[in-house]
Amino acid sequence: MQPIQLFELASKQAEWLSVRQGVVAGNIANANTPGFRAKDVTPFQAVLETTGMRMAATQPGHFTETEMASRVVETKPTEEIGVQESGNTVGLAEELMKQGQVKRDFDMNAGLVKAFHRMMLMTVRR
Amino acid sequence: MDPLVASMKVAASGLEAQSTRIRIVSENLANARSTGDTPGADPFRRKTVTFAAELDRATGASLVEVQRLGFDEGEFTTEYDPGNPAADTNGVVKMPNVNMLVEMADMREANRSYEANLQSIKQSRDLISATIDLLRASQ
Repeated sequence: MQPIQLFELASKQAEWLSVRQGVVAGNIANANTPGFRAKDVTPFQAVLETTGMRMAATQPGHFTETEMASRVVETKPTEEIGVQESGNTVGLAEELMKQGQVKRDFDMNAGLVKAFHRMMLMTVRR
Repeated sequence: MDPLVASMKVAASGLEAQSTRIRIVSENLANARSTGDTPGADPFRRKTVTFAAELDRATGASLVEVQRLGFDEGEFTTEYDPGNPAADTNGVVKMPNVNMLVEMADMREANRSYEANLQSIKQSRDLISATIDLLRASQ
């Protein structure tokens, strides 16, 4: 059934976006840490196409790492910031821009889910 | 732990680190004219602060913490002021190695970083409430 698949995709993207938000927050917090390298999550498209290996959880007490958390990689230093004197590669402006992107995508995601949910309810009610 | 909650935790650690930095800057500025009180004594020495990334084991996120509060080993400036209790036999007083301009620049930078962290807390909160709104809207 089509819409159900959409919900799964949407929740996957929401997870990816929240992991990215966490990574960006880490970059911003470490904007003045000597030797810190900026990180980012691999693009959502790439995450969708490849399925990573995960440890099986056979008991409720087992911890499993979320799939996205293993997708965090170091980014290349950008042209304008480069590697700073302290060995840091975080550019605040760039990180804030990424945050704006995350916000927009998340809002769109939530809006889509809401719309589809409403459509499904419509078919059930009447 | 939810990544969004984790990101708020990370940003909060950034706020704490930057406020420590601002505290050190104010200490330096407040003591910019603090001399010793015996002849030839060393005056106030400028303090410095260093940050380090710290892996939070519960969430896997990289928090920031104050690694070390150090001292600036730079030379003291000297001033001729025979009436000062810290003046040596030639009437020269050692003054703290605090440079106002450097401190002001440092304060500005700490301020910017603090604002950026604040922004990420706000945003994480917005994202969480967007998710909660999914439950609320379709009545």
